[in-house]
Amino acid sequence: MNYWLFFPELLLVGLAFLLLIADLFLPTSRKHYLAFLGALSLAGVAAAALTLRGEKVSLFSGMFLVDDYALFFKFFFPALGVLVLLASVEYAKKRLTHTGEYYGLILISVLAMMLMTAAGELLTAYISLELLSFSLYIMAAYERDNPKSSEAGLKYILLGAFSSALLLYGISLIYGLAGTTSFEGIGRLVQGGNGPALFLGLALIIAGLGFKLAVVPFHMWAPDVYEGSPLPVTAYLSVASKAAGFALLLRLFATAFAPLMVDWQGVLAGVAAVTMTVGNLVAIQQRNIKRLLAYSAIGQAGYLLLGVVVLSPQAADAILFHLAGYAASNLAAFVAIIAYFNQTGHEDIPDYAGLAERAPFVALTLSIALFSLAGLPFFAGFTTKFYLFLAAAQGGFLWLAALAVLNSLISLYYYLLIVKEMYISPPPPQAGRLPVSILLHGVLGVLLIAVFLIGIYPSPLLTLIQAATRPLFF
Amino acid sequence: MTGAQFLFYALGLATVMGGLGVVLSRNVVHSALALLLSLIAVAGIYVLLYAEFLALVQVLIYGGAIVILLLFVLMLTRSGESPLVLDNPQKPVALVVSLLFMAIAIVSFFLTRWKLAQAPRGVDFSVLGGSLFQDWVLPFEVASLVLLVALMGAIIIARESPQ
Repeated sequence: MNYWLFFPELLLVGLAFLLLIADLFLPTSRKHYLAFLGALSLAGVAAAALTLRGEKVSLFSGMFLVDDYALFFKFFFPALGVLVLLASVEYAKKRLTHTGEYYGLILISVLAMMLMTAAGELLTAYISLELLSFSLYIMAAYERDNPKSSEAGLKYILLGAFSSALLLYGISLIYGLAGTTSFEGIGRLVQGGNGPALFLGLALIIAGLGFKLAVVPFHMWAPDVYEGSPLPVTAYLSVASKAAGFALLLRLFATAFAPLMVDWQGVLAGVAAVTMTVGNLVAIQQRNIKRLLAYSAIGQAGYLLLGVVVLSPQAADAILFHLAGYAASNLAAFVAIIAYFNQTGHEDIPDYAGLAERAPFVALTLSIALFSLAGLPFFAGFTTKFYLFLAAAQGGFLWLAALAVLNSLISLYYYLLIVKEMYISPPPPQAGRLPVSILLHGVLGVLLIAVFLIGIYPSPLLTLIQAATRPLFF
Repeated sequence: MTGAQFLFYALGLATVMGGLGVVLSRNVVHSALALLLSLIAVAGIYVLLYAEFLALVQVLIYGGAIVILLLFVLMLTRSGESPLVLDNPQKPVALVVSLLFMAIAIVSFFLTRWKLAQAPRGVDFSVLGGSLFQDWVLPFEVASLVLLVALMGAIIIARESPQ
């Protein structure tokens, strides 16, 4: 076996340990060096992954796949990790203790997400998902002085454990029927009705993953956890963990459960329709910006499910494409919110009154990010949603595509409410300009470029994505 | 009914009774003891499945170490003194949903044609070691990372804050 194929993961484990050890020797005032060390580590891991281009092999008798699909996420997740690390620096210095372990947990969770997308069988996928979840439970409860953060951590771990139990029960039923946990083996063996236990297993797996992805009706935990968690963790949760969940869902359904497509397609279509509608309708009533973005993220999960429902090669491309666009836009929105929160400690929408005068660049980025999430032209959201909805319509789900367009219009309304607050409402009296650090300005600038690039010149990214999804359809 | 079948049903009954005891008991220490019953009964089922090593490990680690650790925690902290009632008004709804799920599961298990495993044979330790440390080494090592993260979490959340 060629261990070189496993090198990026090994490197990341080693660097995460190195960071945790370095933490012991740094005084509290210099802990932010660790964030930069972590960012460098993740860049190194992505560079190491470059050597794996075009490989298509499996290690550990099919448990760990090295293909272009896994490779795409070996760049995607480290990139998200770097941005979240850099966006956390100021926040962590002001409001968190044990910041060294915080940065270490981000590295470990990136590793978990890379493993999830490379897993070729159910148990490896499950244990990687659990590694990700455990890191996120701790990060959600990180703000020890804030009871809401502890509440978020507790709610997250209880519902996470519950959903893991559902997922495992489903996996055990599928294993009992197929006699194997490998995706490929399941795909070969579950053809032809084996009886209702198969559908029970499938339903339990959908429910278990549905909890992790926060799709309706398994979404109840998301708004509370998003609201209570420290802001950079909320950003990370809403972007990275959602992307990892969808990456796993896509591989699982394209390889293991593709033969059963007629059986689950209708169920997932219903879930997608309910998810996008409930997410967007409830978002209208929110006052807290974290809760609003939590519901908007639920709506986005509904759009992404569209691609899984159709499951054509084009739809798979569209999922990855929309994940990239959503990640850039949502992170840009969250980093802007972090920049505002660092200076003021406020997170309600009326607090954003007059932000355009107090921090013009932050207000501009937040507006562009929200327009992109709504899907206005020239921004990432328009191009990626166009691809996604087109793939759905061509796959025979015109009604779902129409519903998705309608929902995007609804979302534009509540995003505009925030923009109106920032640009039209006057700032509170005696409120001066807000100082924003150069680092946060830099992160915002990078994300802004990404949002425009995906929106206007998406072809390089699309070429990469088309290569990435090819292994899913042989 | 053969002897093995009788043993299986008896052990199954003991497992379920133990599980019910854990959930329904008002006293946490009683819950821990009911858990012990359930875990030992599962070890018995492993013996019936010719997985002697697994049964041994189950008794040693779960029946021994984990339950004793649990009892220690209960006795050294004050949690045993004040009986916690973790109930809420949704209890009847939960009951209905659970029973419904149980009914669906039982019906679908009976309607499904399961593949029968080959005639069971004892598992060699060397085979077990080989599959754990060669084929399954990746999930095994990831599990050790999960433990590391859980330990870090316990320290971060439980330690006194420095101020």
